[in-house]
Amino acid sequence: MDLQTFNQIADLGKLTFSDTERDELLHDMTDIIDIMDTVKNADLVYDPLLDNKNVFINELRKDKAETSFPTEKILKNARNMNNCFVVPKVVE
Amino acid sequence: MRSALDKKELSATELTETYLENIAKTDSKIESYVTVTADIAKEQAKAAQELINSGKSSPLTGIPLAIKDNICTEGVKTTCASRMLENFIPPYNATVMDKLNAQNAVMLGKTSMDEFAMGSTTQTAFEKKTKNPYDLNRVPGGSSGGSAAAVSARLAPAALGSDTGGSIRQPSSFCGVTGLKPTYSRVSRYGLIAFASSLDQIGPIANSAEDCGYLLNAIAGFDRHDGTSANRAVPDFTSKCGQGVKGLKIALPKEFFEEGATDFVRKTVLAAAEKYKSMGAELIECSMPSLKYAVPAYFLISSAEAASNLARFDGIKYGHRSEKGSTYGELVLNSRSEGFGREVKRRIMLGNYALSSGYYDAYYGKACALRQEIRAEYNRIFETADVILTPTAPRTAFRIDENITDPKMIYYSDICTVTVNIASLPAISTTCGYDENGLPVGMSIVGKMWDEETIIGVTDTFERNFTKISAKAVK
Repeated sequence: MDLQTFNQIADLGKLTFSDTERDELLHDMTDIIDIMDTVKNADLVYDPLLDNKNVFINELRKDKAETSFPTEKILKNARNMNNCFVVPKVVE
Repeated sequence: MRSALDKKELSATELTETYLENIAKTDSKIESYVTVTADIAKEQAKAAQELINSGKSSPLTGIPLAIKDNICTEGVKTTCASRMLENFIPPYNATVMDKLNAQNAVMLGKTSMDEFAMGSTTQTAFEKKTKNPYDLNRVPGGSSGGSAAAVSARLAPAALGSDTGGSIRQPSSFCGVTGLKPTYSRVSRYGLIAFASSLDQIGPIANSAEDCGYLLNAIAGFDRHDGTSANRAVPDFTSKCGQGVKGLKIALPKEFFEEGATDFVRKTVLAAAEKYKSMGAELIECSMPSLKYAVPAYFLISSAEAASNLARFDGIKYGHRSEKGSTYGELVLNSRSEGFGREVKRRIMLGNYALSSGYYDAYYGKACALRQEIRAEYNRIFETADVILTPTAPRTAFRIDENITDPKMIYYSDICTVTVNIASLPAISTTCGYDENGLPVGMSIVGKMWDEETIIGVTDTFERNFTKISAKAVK
């Protein structure tokens, strides 16, 4: 994996690294991708129709409004104010 | 234990106190628990005893249990062994916890694990890097290493774990206990903090297959909160215990014994197969050619799903929140970078790479094709066999000071277990021997979909004819 790809992937994952971390992970990723590359040798093509026959049919709840958790209970794990999540200022 | 409680030979409180004392005495060496819920356990034991006294007990009433720390417990910290969720207190119970509470089981505490269930050693935990009760210098396996070690060290009679690629079976093998991964959809995943949603499954770890069956009886069944849980009847999973294996057809896929195991593990598991044969089973040789692709296919699928599942951790709604960052983007970036450990970051990176434009077909698409092929190979084997027998892990527990961050070494240690998750099948691991260091060797019995009764029965038959050696490191 080259540095440019590494940085793009890190950006997608919302991750940032120190120089040391980046060098270690870049080395790890090269080893990991070596392992993953072996799947390219499998002479197979994914058949979405086969999955349609075999997958479980999800049993979904009816789409109707139900009482959920109390707001104050949900906010207990967050920095909150006036029953809202606190985030950095996003609008000037 | 059930019988002793019902006959009043001991009380639920005495039983719970005994385990809490064992934990207080021993767990500083093993580090199997992240959180010990002593006060809750004592209260639950008291309530359980009242039910027992009134003759209204259920199979798990008053039975103390340990719970893996990725299963949400209302009001009790659920950390996933990550700095990201170090202080997370769930506002609700996982469905399995509601089911255990409905039977008045007793929760001893929350057990350690690899961070976000990503690993095979329990050494990627943010804190409480659990040790193997057979040798404190060795790993307990993972990711449910805390649960397996707690049962092995008699710090809980049974526990719940979760299994995405072997995370119940491999630590059970390393710690000399029995661990069951149910059929995908058999147990609700509601409240299980997601790693890879198409592979994750909660299951029991105990000292016997029969005990795993009793636990599965309690936690299985449809749940309206989990759209992937199966709406089908829950049988008595212990119904085939004590029935023997006469006439049973056991398949041995040669690749698991060629590339998948050391000489000693291979010989020990094959000796177990011969023992089944001597008890009346028929052994069938078979092949699973795609095993050589199983590890990369598993890591591609699971990491792709993990990258999506872990996108929810932004430091805003819950979880670690960085003190650095003046914009929304910087806050999210810093919170995630500080909150996740190295292995989790590797999986997020791999998952996003596999799903990226230009790489998707070559990696994720090919892994999905392999998933179909592995399922087809299992189906072919089950046309002539009732169950499949394989090693649980290529080798016995490795030393903590080995190179356990090397992805090649660690990822291939899952080779014997990942295909079961890929194919959504049930499988159980039990001990079938000990190596020259006294470390347990595990074997796995894999069953047809929804046929947990058979694999529990087959394993029970072996266990009734096998002498276990308890862990010595903590004595």
